[in-house]
Amino acid sequence: MELDKCLELLYRGQLLPEVTVRALCFKLKEMLVRESNVVHISTPVTVVGDIHGQFHDLMEIFHIGGPAPDTNYLFLGDYVDRGLYSVETIILLVALKLRYPRRIHLLRGNHESRQITQSYGFYTECLNKYGDGSKVWHHLTDLFDYLVLCCIIDDELFCVHGGLSPNVQTIDQIKIIDRFREIPHDGAMADLVWSDPEELNTDSIGHREEFYRESSQQFQVSPRGAGYTFGRCVVEKFLHTNDMSRIYRAHQLCNEGYQVYFDGLVTTVWSAPNYCYRCGNKASILELYSTNEFYFNVFEEAPENKLLNDNVNLLVTNSKAIADYFDDNVSEPPQQENAETDIFSDAYQARSASSRRVEYFL
Amino acid sequence: MADRRPLRGPGINTFQIDAARKVHARTVQARIPQAAASAASERFISPSPPTTSAVRRLVPRHVCNSPNNPPCASCGTMIVPSPAATLPLQDCPSMTINNWTISTRKKPILNSQELEDWENNKLKGLTLPEMIFGNSYVRIENTLHGWTLEFNALDALKQVKLADCGIRVSYSKKWMDSKQQKQAQRSSSPTEFEVDDSSLKIAHHYDWTYTTRYRGTEESKDQRYKFTRDDTQQLPLDKLSRPDHILFYDDMILFEDELADNGISILNVKIRVMDERLLLLNRFFLRVDDVLLRVIDTRVCVEFDENKVMREYKEMEGDYKSLLANHRISHSHDPKAALRDSNWVAQHAPVVSREYETLNFD
Repeated sequence: MELDKCLELLYRGQLLPEVTVRALCFKLKEMLVRESNVVHISTPVTVVGDIHGQFHDLMEIFHIGGPAPDTNYLFLGDYVDRGLYSVETIILLVALKLRYPRRIHLLRGNHESRQITQSYGFYTECLNKYGDGSKVWHHLTDLFDYLVLCCIIDDELFCVHGGLSPNVQTIDQIKIIDRFREIPHDGAMADLVWSDPEELNTDSIGHREEFYRESSQQFQVSPRGAGYTFGRCVVEKFLHTNDMSRIYRAHQLCNEGYQVYFDGLVTTVWSAPNYCYRCGNKASILELYSTNEFYFNVFEEAPENKLLNDNVNLLVTNSKAIADYFDDNVSEPPQQENAETDIFSDAYQARSASSRRVEYFL
Repeated sequence: MADRRPLRGPGINTFQIDAARKVHARTVQARIPQAAASAASERFISPSPPTTSAVRRLVPRHVCNSPNNPPCASCGTMIVPSPAATLPLQDCPSMTINNWTISTRKKPILNSQELEDWENNKLKGLTLPEMIFGNSYVRIENTLHGWTLEFNALDALKQVKLADCGIRVSYSKKWMDSKQQKQAQRSSSPTEFEVDDSSLKIAHHYDWTYTTRYRGTEESKDQRYKFTRDDTQQLPLDKLSRPDHILFYDDMILFEDELADNGISILNVKIRVMDERLLLLNRFFLRVDDVLLRVIDTRVCVEFDENKVMREYKEMEGDYKSLLANHRISHSHDPKAALRDSNWVAQHAPVVSREYETLNFD
């Protein structure tokens, strides 16, 4: 199948046949195997954070940020899991990367992994959409092993999914990681996709204040017993050593769509609005025009999110019911409203209401 | 109804009134779940009462306090709060039976200012869970005696211990060991950036599983109204399992954290109100992958006629591997699916403790 034909189907939210998915994955692996762990790109570019299978919100991103390839995109990872359309989302991004390799860049997130996708929905979704015997999940997770880890924009802005690692002091140390593997629990590769910044307000500390202030600047072991959080000192040192000015990362939900740490040295970009269809949060994409000119384009959930399999009959019945209810305009034909976007429409509200089960729990 | 000709002179255009009314009617109507919606629309067409009212009590004794929700007193449908809960109406569904008022509120996750306030003032020392629905609540109020029982995220999180909970993720030991080894190797040639010995100990302790033994926030004007404990009694399960008509239903998450993809920690509260009684279930569910499962249930049952409140508190906990083994016998396809289902876990994990209390108003 022609790549453009694939894209056309994918943009409409349709699935591609398994053989095509396999071929796309194979082609992209061929392309990615030649890439370094750290890719260098330049502005202008739009940085996108976690998407998590929210296909309609990805469409919204292309809508507000500009279509590919007119806009350059850097995706920071976590394309799959949790949302209902992980398969559609990742395959579209794969096809776009193949079609416009210099315009689209895909980093690896912690969800681009075999182990995580088995617990958080992508595995189940692949089986549901392609059947129990399909290998789609295998093709895609094998492809994930080839995704690059970091990206540097204009030699100045460091972009990664999670954060820094005590095993990484220089960019060269990232370049020598053997990335063609499942994400391990331990080591630099794990930290890059997992770790979080931790900003501790110094007045909030209370006991052991001195000790705390000291250690909170450094890498700290999470109380879970594995993984790190990193403080301001770590960031400053890393930026200084590598002659960079800022870090952009994703990985953590924020209500406003982005979150600034350490006076702007680290910024989280989050691009999944109304995360898991229940958080009610905003999302954003970061539009970088040059290293010092940037704009957070904040947006909310795309209204189509709950309307993928729109039932036309239902809509007609309901608008008739409304027309009958307001008997004064019964002679007029029911006003044809844009069912796709009218959030007041019966179909829209009722669908989401009926998806909320009323159960006789005990 | 106003006619469709625009008014002359000042005042609101009839079109606008009409449109506003329509929007309101549709929003309200759409909240009736699908099956009920078609029945309701029939009613709109024919003013004569529907024929299927035999089951219903002749004179409904409850009052719906929110005009934005379906008028159940006349139509017999249940109150299902708006799924969107934001635009443009404030959604605070509420109803009253005798001297009991039940209300709920559902809001998006906290924004960054609120989070900062919680982190620095309200919940000092706790690293907050990823998603906090801090402005949502379920409230049961006895208006006659000024007694309230409320379930909200803040009070639930106040009961999370600020000490080591002793639980570690499954790969923690391996992770720690490998760090220690590396440190031993490197101690001869220290490099900057290295984590020193002390910081391999976890500096900031809090219960990262967010286990809370929250049973609701009680408020009472009169000190006499206290729960009395009597573990020998049981909730009236026979009455609660009857398919009485549900007049009011809501289901919400108070907080949730995915434990950096090591499982899930979630506090959920749901309520159903029937004509004679109500049942509320406040459930904390914890799954630490490959380590343990824990369910903490608080059930509250109110008998409206007897003015009696019953509260049952139950803790269940089981080892991950033994529960998974238990499940493998029954199913084989997606064995981990059951461990994502808190109902299944609640039924199969051993009960650790149970308490039962009652409170009588006379």
